[in-house]
Amino acid sequence: METAAPSLVELLNLVRSEAATTRQELERQSDLGRAVVADRLTMLGELGLVDESELGATTGGRAPRLVRFAARRAAILVATLDQTAIGVGVADLSGNLLTEHHEAADLTVPPAQLTDRLSALFRWSLERHPAQDGVWGLSLSVPGAVQSGNDGAFLTATPQFMPTWEGYPLVETLTRGFGVPVWIRSSVETMTMGELHAGAGLGQRTMLFIKVGRRIGAGIVCEGQLFRGAQGAAGLIGSLPVTSGGQTGSLDSMAGSDMIQREGLGAANDGRSEVLADILRRSGEITAIEVLQAAQLGDPASVAILATSGHLIGQVVATLANALNPELIVLSGSIVQTNDILLAAVREAVYGASHPLVTRDLRIIRSQMGSSAGLVGAARVASEALFAPAFLKEWVMQGRPQAHPAFADFRAQLARGAEPDPAPPMPPASGPGEEPPA
Amino acid sequence: MTISGLGPHGERAAPPERVTLLPDDRTAAKDAAWRAAVVLHTVESDWAKQQLAGMVGIFGDCGTAVIDVVDCGFSPERQVTELDRLIAHRPDAIISLPVANEEVAAAHARVSAAGIRLVLLDNVPTGLLPGKHYTALVSADNFGLGKIAAAGLSRDLREGAEVGVLGFAADFFATNEREIAFTKWLQAHRPDIRVHVERFDRMSEAANLAEKLVGQHPAMAGLFVVWDTPAMAVSERLSQLGRALPMATVDLGEAAAIDIAREGYICCIAAQQPYLQGIAAAQTVILSLLARPVPAWIALPGIRVTRDNVVESFQKVWRQPAPKEVLRVLGLSR
Repeated sequence: METAAPSLVELLNLVRSEAATTRQELERQSDLGRAVVADRLTMLGELGLVDESELGATTGGRAPRLVRFAARRAAILVATLDQTAIGVGVADLSGNLLTEHHEAADLTVPPAQLTDRLSALFRWSLERHPAQDGVWGLSLSVPGAVQSGNDGAFLTATPQFMPTWEGYPLVETLTRGFGVPVWIRSSVETMTMGELHAGAGLGQRTMLFIKVGRRIGAGIVCEGQLFRGAQGAAGLIGSLPVTSGGQTGSLDSMAGSDMIQREGLGAANDGRSEVLADILRRSGEITAIEVLQAAQLGDPASVAILATSGHLIGQVVATLANALNPELIVLSGSIVQTNDILLAAVREAVYGASHPLVTRDLRIIRSQMGSSAGLVGAARVASEALFAPAFLKEWVMQGRPQAHPAFADFRAQLARGAEPDPAPPMPPASGPGEEPPA
Repeated sequence: MTISGLGPHGERAAPPERVTLLPDDRTAAKDAAWRAAVVLHTVESDWAKQQLAGMVGIFGDCGTAVIDVVDCGFSPERQVTELDRLIAHRPDAIISLPVANEEVAAAHARVSAAGIRLVLLDNVPTGLLPGKHYTALVSADNFGLGKIAAAGLSRDLREGAEVGVLGFAADFFATNEREIAFTKWLQAHRPDIRVHVERFDRMSEAANLAEKLVGQHPAMAGLFVVWDTPAMAVSERLSQLGRALPMATVDLGEAAAIDIAREGYICCIAAQQPYLQGIAAAQTVILSLLARPVPAWIALPGIRVTRDNVVESFQKVWRQPAPKEVLRVLGLSR
């Protein structure tokens, strides 16, 4: 039976990607004989991975049975962690989001406390959206760059992604709690995946995704695939030096939301902006969002601040655009989403600094996916990893990824070391008031 | 009042003031003479009637004709049929409250694809995106409503008490947020309390589930029901059973207002502001038809109602005097 695995993998991925939707198409595209295709489809049907109950459109004669991927057989749990909010969702095996919830959160609380909250929301979401075979994978989007290791396979240790989370066994805790493989990617990477598969990037081969917030990062799509680089650090443009008004600093510090807030406060205090001064008098503070709103109302000082930010971002993006020649540049983040001025400034800088061929058919737009992009993208990360041929062939005969030998080993290893873990059986130990271990 | 929840895609809330209309906007809208339609889950409830009153008034000020008000009777199939029927009439805008999640998603996407502005109330089917599949969502801060209910009920709960939550089985943004926020508030502020959750899919089932909950957990010391109509059915059942329990709920219906005034079962209500929500929805439609940028999510804060402020809250929420019985019980009239 071992020899069946490669053909099962090939056929399942043809069905999953909808490259083939009938037995005839599968025979044609796979170069496998009719008897082999029939046999493998029976196996995949018995494993619950494909469904042949639906009839397709007839082209004369009998209507063909459609071969569909059983995307609802199991669920993928997804979450986004950012500095001020968490998002949690349930997706099907094709990476389509079935439900999502976002709430305010503070990423500086002890990691164990936030992981408890994530787990509680995961369980709540699963209760609302139960899948026949439970959960098959868990995928997280986190603020910082995530060091890449054995790509495609699941994580067996928690990679570094934020200083405050260093030493906390996030991957181990979630694997133990949910019994499934775990993946972690940076928010820029997951949002790029989301935009590519469910947003403006659908069907694009070459795309640049720029996330603007406190930090500024780029996601790079080449030949329809997310390009992660040697260490998972591709697109970290925020640390590039830029110069503005005689000052030089990193793009993050010179154009990110901290700069917008700082300059907005300055404009309120030194009389450049009446609008911001008024907000400051009433609320006692100025946030980046208020500078954006003031700019949208036409406040000249706020417009100037955003134009400066947009031009600096545009200069760096133009360099990337000239190196990659993308079809599409998508800007994302709340600053871009609530304001036209920054988008316009980026466009101006990119068009002004690029080779005519680079900008001939280039579109520069803003994302319409909000924080959903991260969840949708995290789901795609898990679904692509679960069904990557090298990974799939190790579990397809058993019908569920938990049976993958390396994953089973990892769980066994976690189980052996389980005693010191203060997880679910002792709820008070991981309660909200607990201090992190020193 | 601040908004404590995040939008369906993690959006930050914009206050209703953000969609205020200026005199010039009204003039421009009148010249355009637009046509709009409204699709609601029901038109029977006070909540729906107030929303409509708010919307229709603003549309009137702006010379926009309301060409249809559809009552979907909570049925997803009916909503799909009605949306497709309306698309054929080609109104300039539709305000719709999606009664379900997946079942009605494609029909709502067809509205925008047909070039009709779509403003959603209370719920966004998963997968639909603002700016692409719909213009904006207008809703209460449902997360905030859940927190208000939890804080209100918590005062009546002794250390280590057990609490029941009666949630809504349908996958609905508004009721999901209330349930999540209620539980979260208790976990954060009253970790001593144990929570038991049941979910009803028909309103008639709520009282049965409440009976089951108090039967299974005799020490149950309080209940949260995610809106007032089922909450009143629950209080009636509890009273038949001779069980007195403090309850918190959402929406200041007439029966709930009378109960809170009489110091009956309901001790705290987190009230929505349906009239103002209707106004915000219609203003969003007008601004969007005028090609002005509108926020993806406009949220109205909830109001915490207790016996002390029930009269003023009722007037604020419903733009009507409080029920006679409320005034009589509180000694404000005879």
